[in-house]
Amino acid sequence: MSHVSARSALKGVREAIPLLGGYIPVSLSFGLVATQAGFTTWEAAAISLLIYAGASQFLFVGMVAAGSPLWLVIALTLLINIRHVVYGPNLAAWLPPSRHWLWLMHGLTDQVFALAHTRLPQLREAERFGWFLGAALLAWVVWIAGTVVGATGGEALTARWPLLGEIMPFALPALFLTMVAPRFTDKRWALALGCTIASALFFTLYGWSNVAIPLAAACGAICFYMVKFHPGKNVL
Amino acid sequence: MSTALWLAVIASALGTLLIRVVPFLWMQRRLGSDTGLNSIPQWISILGPLMIAAVLGVSLVPVNPGAVSWGATAIGLLVTLLVWQRVRSMGLPVAAGVAVFGLVLVGVTLAG
Repeated sequence: MSHVSARSALKGVREAIPLLGGYIPVSLSFGLVATQAGFTTWEAAAISLLIYAGASQFLFVGMVAAGSPLWLVIALTLLINIRHVVYGPNLAAWLPPSRHWLWLMHGLTDQVFALAHTRLPQLREAERFGWFLGAALLAWVVWIAGTVVGATGGEALTARWPLLGEIMPFALPALFLTMVAPRFTDKRWALALGCTIASALFFTLYGWSNVAIPLAAACGAICFYMVKFHPGKNVL
Repeated sequence: MSTALWLAVIASALGTLLIRVVPFLWMQRRLGSDTGLNSIPQWISILGPLMIAAVLGVSLVPVNPGAVSWGATAIGLLVTLLVWQRVRSMGLPVAAGVAVFGLVLVGVTLAG
């Protein structure tokens, strides 16, 4: 891998650390839920290793435990993950061609995409491959490790530090806020982004969390195309 | 797990990987082609930031929603934003936001 320097990979690792505030509690929960649904620790770890997509993993074990037909389990798992189709094209211009993307894109989760979409344009071209490698690998490894810990001792952990599981996930909205804030560049973008955030919150609160991301982004896009300001009045 | 269940895991994993990798490779090929199709369609570049905003919206809901956790979320976000406006980076605003969110949550829990 000629594009990789240890320094840029370490930079990716360092900058992905805030993501772990969300990854650790959710992967612990997944490990716990999977074992409660009848999966062994290593089966839960294999699901995290291979599928590596939070919401759809919960759906997968839930549907299997409920005895749903496997073709339906696969179809719904993929349906939830279909939102990822727009992630790769948005990063394509900033990443160098490499045969390693075939496996490295396995690490393109919602959170890694959000971080990469913000950071890649700010990095030097030579740093980008290593940065993505470091950030994506850290998130993936922690997700798998969290699943194993959750499956083996999740119940004891959450009983001992009940507030930790509530505090750590706040790292995610805080991180995403620092990514979204610079994009409020004019009234048109502010309205589209505000509409997206509000509708995602609404869909999640009303139990549509599995489809909230693509639906909210679609609402924001409709807003972006429908509402236009006169050039002089578009400034924030 | 039964063989059928393992196959379901592998099919879901392969499908998810293809959803992530094929559009990426398609766009890299398109960007590098000589046929003039070397720009990202506008709707894709607009959906990128909107997807991040949607992930923000989804993550705003506290683990245990209630008056205290919503209040702590609002205060935590405000502190994150204020620190971000000052430093324009990611690490410090996130650390400050989580610290304040945690302090509010722990403080109210201990007081109550």
